[in-house]
Amino acid sequence: MLIYRREMNRNRKALIIWTLVISGIAILNLLMFPDVAKQQAAIDQLIKQMPPGLIKAFGMDQLSMADPLGYYATKGYLMIILFGSIYAVMLAGNMLSKEHNEKTIEFLLSKPIGRSGIVTEKLLAVFTNLLIFNLVITAANYLGFWLAEAEFDLRVFLLLSAAPLLLHLVFASISFLLSSRMNKSRNIVSISLGLVFVMYFMDILSGVSDKLENLKYITPYEYVDAVEIVVSRSMNPIYIGIISAVILLCTIASYLIYQRRDIAV
Amino acid sequence: MALVEIQGLTKYYGKQRGIRDVSFDIKEGEIFGFIGPNGAGKSTTIRILLNFIYPSSGKAAVFGKDAARDSLDIRKNIGYLPSEVYYYDDMKVSELLRFSYAFYKKGSPKRMKELADRLDLNLNKRIEDLSFGNKKKVGIIQALLHQPKLLILDEPTGGLDPLIRSAFFELLKEENERGATIFFSSHILSEVQSMCSRVAIIKEGELIKVETIENLIRNQFKKVTITFSGQKGKTFKIEGGRKPEWSGDTLQLLYGGEIKNMLQMLNETEVKDLLIEEPSLDEVFMHYYEH
Repeated sequence: MLIYRREMNRNRKALIIWTLVISGIAILNLLMFPDVAKQQAAIDQLIKQMPPGLIKAFGMDQLSMADPLGYYATKGYLMIILFGSIYAVMLAGNMLSKEHNEKTIEFLLSKPIGRSGIVTEKLLAVFTNLLIFNLVITAANYLGFWLAEAEFDLRVFLLLSAAPLLLHLVFASISFLLSSRMNKSRNIVSISLGLVFVMYFMDILSGVSDKLENLKYITPYEYVDAVEIVVSRSMNPIYIGIISAVILLCTIASYLIYQRRDIAV
Repeated sequence: MALVEIQGLTKYYGKQRGIRDVSFDIKEGEIFGFIGPNGAGKSTTIRILLNFIYPSSGKAAVFGKDAARDSLDIRKNIGYLPSEVYYYDDMKVSELLRFSYAFYKKGSPKRMKELADRLDLNLNKRIEDLSFGNKKKVGIIQALLHQPKLLILDEPTGGLDPLIRSAFFELLKEENERGATIFFSSHILSEVQSMCSRVAIIKEGELIKVETIENLIRNQFKKVTITFSGQKGKTFKIEGGRKPEWSGDTLQLLYGGEIKNMLQMLNETEVKDLLIEEPSLDEVFMHYYEH
């Protein structure tokens, strides 16, 4: 587990910064909830003036801002899935490619560790970092709700906490797959960041226009949609299946590609 | 027993040639030189042995095991020094070396200290603060720490000053006496001559010859540049001199005889300047084609 430990150390600073910033914003967000709930009438008025498409796109037609989880689903949740995905692709995209960019891979590969061993330890490091990131944010959210003295459904809260982790793992595994074939960190992170935003944009579009509704099947954001989780109090098992399959396929492909490729520095 | 066996090894990078049909053996316990100009395919061959890259065709075996399939097993007993060393900049030298030998479950702080002392390397410095030569020393130590059965050294002396170089050669001789086999790649002929028992000569991806050092030395010659003052030198001829080339008062030739004889002959002329140097590899190869 030498490489795992090394990666945990190397990425510790980034993990702490990302976790603290996102947790802090999440808590601040929830602290504003009591005021928002009080001004609900005014807000409802405001929302009615927005274009119907926009309201639908953000799920505000089905959720009430007066409900703590409804409030969270339209505000804090969005930030966590979006910023968390950015963190996830940067973390996973740099795992292998950093060794290639800095040409330290030659050192690593001359040691008695297989390429699959390197991939395994690096993937584990990605998983651990994302798990810690999400656990701390979940705790921060819990703290935020408690400070805001809001009553909420624990089951839905836990689902809304687990879903972002799944999404982060999807983007991380895609980014890692890219880095198993490509060398340049910058290109890998650019492509995966592009994916994070394009997919999000497609998710919005699919909500706004009925014609583009089918777009929702190719964007992973749809599979972790907060509105659906809050309304149905569950996650669609088919969606969980698709997410798991994507993660699994990307991971297996990463192993196979990295094992077979020529490593030239 | 052959410790390394290479049979018809070929590697293309796309359409670009790496090496073509290279075959040779390295016996257990020998110091085997691998010599050729830059870009001849030395590193390509080494990278196939370490399974960084896969051969297009042909076979490579180390310790009797397949270099690609059993690479993990093979690397347990290999020490590798790349031609250009890159390490984790954020680590201290001692951290990197401990990280390195932890992979083998061999090596000790004591041996690390000992090797660092002999090569005059400060263990407490950060990798990023090291000069090129000092990084090379880290590379040497990480290759030697776990006392491997086979040492693969790719142009190991670049950046080392003469004092450290001789300390390094001393270490290699000790490792060899302990039983380690050494595969020594270089483009510097004199280095290979002083260290190795046999050499393989590679050029433009193809193996030209595998030769004992004795035979190489028999064919040894020097590149001599003489500048004469006055006209007397213009008629200068020397026995054993080849390919004389005049430019003004300066004569350049390859000399293959006794140095003493040449000096005696030069003594009888008016010499202003004299330079005797090792021929470049290309000149060695030319010499080879002539025979």
